[in-house]
Amino acid sequence: MNSNVASSSGGGGVDGSSPPRRNSKRPKYSRFTQQELPACKPILTPKWVISAFMLVSFVFIPIGVASLLASRDVVEIVDRYETVCIPEDKRADKLNYIQSTENKTCSRTLIVPKRMKQPIYVYYQLDNFYQNHRRYVKSRSDEQLRDSKNENDTSACDPEDDSNGLPVVPCGLIAWSLFNDTYSFSRNNQNLTVNKKGISWKSDREHKFGNDVYPKNFQNGTLRGGALLNTTQPLSEQEDLIVWMRTAALPTFRKLYGKIEVDLEANETIQVTLQNNYNTYSFDGKKKLVLSTTSWLGGKNDFLGIAYLTIGGLCFFLSMAFTVVYLVKPRRLGDPSYLSWNINPAGH
Amino acid sequence: MQFLSTIPPSGFSLRIVSAIPKMSGWDRVRSSRSRLGGLSRNSHASEPQPSSRTVRLGRVQPQAPGYRTIYCNDREANLPVRFKGNSIATTKYSIFTFLPKGLFEQFRRVANLYFLMISILSTTPISPVHPITNVAPLSLVLFVSLVKEAFEDWKRLQNDKAINSTLIGVLQDQKWEHIPWRKLQVGDIVRVKQDGFFPADLLFLASTNPDGICYIETANLDGETNLKIRKALERTWDFLTPDKASKFKGEMQCEQPNNSLYTFTGNLIVENQTLPLSPNQILLRGCSLRNTEYIVGAVIFTGHETKVMMNAMNVPSKRSTLERKLDKLILTLFGALFLMCLIGAVGSGVFISRKYYYLGLGESVENQFNPSNRFLVATLTMFTLITLYSTIIPISLYVSIETVKFIQSTQFINKDLHMYHIETNTLALARTSNLNEELGQVEYIFSDKTGTLTRNLMDFFKCSIGGEVYGTGNTETQKGAAQRNGIIVEEVWKSATAVHEKGFNFDDARLMRGAWRNERNPDTCKEFFRCLAICHTVLPEGDESPEKITYQAASPDEAALVTAAKNFGFLFYRRTPTMIKVRESHVEKMGKTQDVSYEILNVLEFNSTRKRQSVVCRYPDGRLVLYCKGADSVIYERLADGNNEIKKSTREHLEQFGSAGLRTLCLAYRDLSCNLYESWNEKFIQAKSSLRDREKKLDEVADLIENDLILIGSTAIEDKLQDGVPSCIETLARAGIKIWVLTGDKMETAINIAYACKLINNDMKQFIISSETEAIREVENQGGQVEIARFIKETVEQELKKCLKEAQRYLCAVSRPKLALIIDGKCLTYALEPSLRGNLLNLSLNCSSVVCCRVSPLQKAQVTSLVKKGAQKITLSIGDGANDVSMIQAAHVGIGISGLEGMQAVMASDFAIAQFRFLTDLLLVHGRWSYLRICKVVMYFFYKNLTFTLTQFWFTFQTGFSGQRFYDDWNQSLYNVIFTALPVIIVGLFDKDVSASLSKKYPELYKEGIRNSFFKWRVVGVWAFFSLYQSLVFYHFVTTSSSNGHNFSGKMFGLWDVSTMAFTCVVVTVNLRLLMACNSITRWHHISVAGSILAWFVFIFIYSGIMTPYDRQENVFFVIYVLMSTFYFYLTLLLVPIVALLGDFIYHGLQRWFFPYDYQIIQEIHRHDPDDNSREELLEIGNQLTPEEQRSYAISQLPRETSKHTGFAFDSPGYESFFASQQGVYAPQKPWDVARRASMRSQRTPKKI
Repeated sequence: MNSNVASSSGGGGVDGSSPPRRNSKRPKYSRFTQQELPACKPILTPKWVISAFMLVSFVFIPIGVASLLASRDVVEIVDRYETVCIPEDKRADKLNYIQSTENKTCSRTLIVPKRMKQPIYVYYQLDNFYQNHRRYVKSRSDEQLRDSKNENDTSACDPEDDSNGLPVVPCGLIAWSLFNDTYSFSRNNQNLTVNKKGISWKSDREHKFGNDVYPKNFQNGTLRGGALLNTTQPLSEQEDLIVWMRTAALPTFRKLYGKIEVDLEANETIQVTLQNNYNTYSFDGKKKLVLSTTSWLGGKNDFLGIAYLTIGGLCFFLSMAFTVVYLVKPRRLGDPSYLSWNINPAGH
Repeated sequence: MQFLSTIPPSGFSLRIVSAIPKMSGWDRVRSSRSRLGGLSRNSHASEPQPSSRTVRLGRVQPQAPGYRTIYCNDREANLPVRFKGNSIATTKYSIFTFLPKGLFEQFRRVANLYFLMISILSTTPISPVHPITNVAPLSLVLFVSLVKEAFEDWKRLQNDKAINSTLIGVLQDQKWEHIPWRKLQVGDIVRVKQDGFFPADLLFLASTNPDGICYIETANLDGETNLKIRKALERTWDFLTPDKASKFKGEMQCEQPNNSLYTFTGNLIVENQTLPLSPNQILLRGCSLRNTEYIVGAVIFTGHETKVMMNAMNVPSKRSTLERKLDKLILTLFGALFLMCLIGAVGSGVFISRKYYYLGLGESVENQFNPSNRFLVATLTMFTLITLYSTIIPISLYVSIETVKFIQSTQFINKDLHMYHIETNTLALARTSNLNEELGQVEYIFSDKTGTLTRNLMDFFKCSIGGEVYGTGNTETQKGAAQRNGIIVEEVWKSATAVHEKGFNFDDARLMRGAWRNERNPDTCKEFFRCLAICHTVLPEGDESPEKITYQAASPDEAALVTAAKNFGFLFYRRTPTMIKVRESHVEKMGKTQDVSYEILNVLEFNSTRKRQSVVCRYPDGRLVLYCKGADSVIYERLADGNNEIKKSTREHLEQFGSAGLRTLCLAYRDLSCNLYESWNEKFIQAKSSLRDREKKLDEVADLIENDLILIGSTAIEDKLQDGVPSCIETLARAGIKIWVLTGDKMETAINIAYACKLINNDMKQFIISSETEAIREVENQGGQVEIARFIKETVEQELKKCLKEAQRYLCAVSRPKLALIIDGKCLTYALEPSLRGNLLNLSLNCSSVVCCRVSPLQKAQVTSLVKKGAQKITLSIGDGANDVSMIQAAHVGIGISGLEGMQAVMASDFAIAQFRFLTDLLLVHGRWSYLRICKVVMYFFYKNLTFTLTQFWFTFQTGFSGQRFYDDWNQSLYNVIFTALPVIIVGLFDKDVSASLSKKYPELYKEGIRNSFFKWRVVGVWAFFSLYQSLVFYHFVTTSSSNGHNFSGKMFGLWDVSTMAFTCVVVTVNLRLLMACNSITRWHHISVAGSILAWFVFIFIYSGIMTPYDRQENVFFVIYVLMSTFYFYLTLLLVPIVALLGDFIYHGLQRWFFPYDYQIIQEIHRHDPDDNSREELLEIGNQLTPEEQRSYAISQLPRETSKHTGFAFDSPGYESFFASQQGVYAPQKPWDVARRASMRSQRTPKKI
């Protein structure tokens, strides 16, 4: 305030000479405050558009081809068995059959369409099974699985948290509903060993499931949800459980069952003896047995390859289309006649 | 502008006349000692005058309730009453109240409250997410806000501390002891030195100046920098030295503390004598002492009871239009949220079934999943989903926008060198950061003329004395008009007598250097000069020599007039409350001067109804004269008969001056006889001491004596156009902004200024609605008020209809000319009536410029709100004086010119600039950029949150509508606050479509803001469409491609692997999308975008790499490493963002190619330019005429007809507050409202987040 007074009262005709006297409020120049930071100004000119499309297509098409080839290299045998494995006379009431105690052994024959190099992965695939349901996903206790000290830590496991007042290990719906169909394979009456080691992610095996945690009170309840566990083996070695407990993202999912570590030749027949125990009948879920080889990309999935090819193709097409438009009806860059006030001079 | 500002009645001629309000048990006390001539010098208040009606009251008088009694200089006696101390606390919080109160403040915001509710919901079992998901961002937002609050409060505390511990001299044991302000108590005797601030509200006892006066500056109260006079009671003049002051034992009875700055009632009882006190004896806290060595005073009100503190209140803040539209957008989001939740809820009710036995839906299942009550399931799932999808409302949006706007205003607007005015050393000042983007959408500018378009540097330029015009030289307006006419103006040769100083730009050898004595009527000249030297309220300052003296005046006009008197040889050099001393050089011998003292008996002050000001003075030889100056219209009414020759010629001169754009005043005088004066003075004193309608009565009494005047002549003052105003107005007009000039000046002045400013040119069709027509004048001369009103109203109605019809015809025409409307205040009064308002609005909206002349401040506000409310357009008002305050507050954006006329306009404004021409920078550069940036920020927030939430929504369909979350809790909670927060702020700060110089070069770009091109529902639709598209790509591409084993090991991915993959894609894409939306990319963009993406990876590397001992589901343990060990990760990361961005890319390419925005064309034109400040010749675009062409057209249409009215151009300081509030115009009408704002500076309201 004071400086203002001084200026207005002392300014009698000597305005011009006053600024140096007072301390000037003039701010120092800085590129930031004057908003003059160096910047590049990308303009999406037709040339840029066309070349960007070209670039994308040139990158994507090879990737797409490679992915597709990789996917095509994979040999996959899928066998859906949930209906065929029920005796014809029982098919009217599948649920009753699966809940009964009779022998549910079922035999399937698979024919190898192409040579399958080892390792051949055995998967089971379930359908309409909501492993990602909120109630299901959270019904587990990571604490309990990791360390035997935390075996009472079952608060998250409702409703499968305890059995007759004793904590269930492993608790929760996920473990309780463990998949319990089993498969054994033979070729020419010769057994094919299914290696069940190393089917789970190493990080799960070593960190999430303790090697001193043993199943307790598991499946003791009135209702059995699924497979039993070997109470003499620590959880870290029960790889079926570990695989099962890495819940799937979608209601249709595959899980790794084991590996067959011999090559299978084309047109060979494989006998599968399976125990059809798991109840997917109450919710009309499909069950499939899958034998598959892998490529560098993994299993058989054309999606990535097709997506890359489609996008690459689309971009190529677009770049061509834009080029044509550019040649036929070019727009001069910075043509003032496009300015709105030149189109409509009144400006209203 | 204002004439005579709000100086409280200062009794120059009279002893204090004060009013004690009615109190039970009290006689009405009226002290009215009027003594004439030199009598007052010798009299002592202690000796009761025979004429005095002072009532003596003993100390035992009963105390009326509501009054406080203060024993001066007696701390013990005051003790029982427990007055408040003098320490002040302006802080909002204390240590203990900070958290509760601060949190309460935060949760008064709807957004915060919403998130609080979501957070509470998320602690219940129905929530799919961990509470952290919602609590973390909310806490961060609250934390930032609270830290800011705390910081601001801390600064306030420091400020308070500094103030409270300022030292002040207090009388203790006959000595001045220095104690801090906070220890001051009511009743203490204090000494305040020159330039010191008053520590509390004081009773003024004694001063080192003779006559017990002191000068104070009230800049902190009302922003006015001119000095005011305060005068102590004569009875207390002696208590100046410590030993004398310690003998002062008085008792004060006065009103309780209140917030009225300009009233005070009370009595001082000294030695059984009751002396009435008036505001004239009160020194308010916040003011400072000037031109006085020191004063002694007694403390009346302390600390928070001082008037300035009682005035502290919050200023209602304006919200920008864009922000209000933003609310609608948020509401739409709520609608979308509700819809999504509804779909999910219905789905969940349908889905839930016992057949999914693995879900354990037995008998004792909780309600949310109980298949036997599907309705309850749906209802609860609704809440679940609200919690899950809460991210659709961008929580950090408000914080980000506030941050961006705050930096924009404090760093960019306040520090812009383009808006720095060297002469006044002023920068632009954004007083609020709420309205930055509003500046980019202004369509109507309402501008004051004086001080805004013009410099408000008043130069005495011409005069007419006794029917003779003096003064050579042409005004700028005349020069402009002559140039339009093609006449080459020769620069007038400056004669040796020419003097040019501040306030004086006059040259005429016939008057200068005493030459006037040889004129035809030197006596009239003498009266003229004396009138100038005596009839004013100016205070002299500095040395008493003509070279060094400076004048403190409320308005520059007054200073100019007094300066003129000085240059004519009548140096006004000293003012006492009763005297004006003039050094006159008209004595017989050349070069000799004579000091003459004129006793000032009465001052009849200026106000807007009177439009005149008079002074009754007594010459040393006893001659009694009333000098009067004022508007021609009011002076002519009051002239004595005869002298028609002079009246006629003066009137002609006034018209000449008026059309030359000069501001005129008429001067007149009247000799008074002693008897006449005495009898009048009685009435005057009565009126002055009346309790009701004092103002009105004073006016009536003044009217009695202000007649039979003898015309002396008139003055003409030039007010030059500010630099760059014409080009600025031209630029703004090209930007599609319509400029209305609202001025108190007469029509011809206004039209001429409008021409000079290029507001009107001759291509325009002008509609003139004036009350100055023959017909109206005729009716005015005979008819009564009702008749006149009816007639004018009818005329206005007809005119409006006629003009409107014509305007509409022009609109249909092929080559439509621009239209201009000129209307005067009287017609406007009628045109603003509800029945005609519509017509007026229709007509004026079709005009590209409108000039309203002779309008009152209230009308300014009415016109502004007419356009604001009636047309729903964004308005901006710009002005510099107190009379513009109502207009400034009525508009969407108020701009004050920090000029010469006090600070009221600035105090009421949202932005303050030093010069009108800076509007170009403020609007076209800052406003436009702010608008673009804020639009981009808002749209981007909308997009990124919608995209993110939609991916969750798609997932819901595949989880049996259970509301399972797709992303990990921490990912979701940090999405808004870390992974996508910074880049958008950077864009909000740095994005530039075209450079500043190009923005000004192509003002038409501004139209995009007026049309609101970037915040339309169509734009929202486009963003929403791409949100939808991208979210589908994110969800389906990632999930579909994940359904098989992904490397040689054939192992499968789980839910969290897939979701982490999707989240990575979202973060990468959303950040890249921002980069795509940028017009200019600085390295800050790169740093922030890359930094955000990097932050995500760093976070997930650490987060998924560790196991914590807490109760945390180890969902994402190791997922990123698992993912990154597969080709799938890299292929998807390449594919998904590119596919997602492809849609936008195609859209942008096509849009730019086929439907380019204007700014894009400009970018292309200048794509090869180097960075800013290029000196290159820029392509000229547009269809402008050259200035020469315009001028050559201009000749014919210059307003030829001179009206009978002349350029009276003083505006009033007070504006009709009552009527304004009746009209619903909100404005701080009273000066104390302005003061209240002023006092807010010490405790600024914190920025809302």
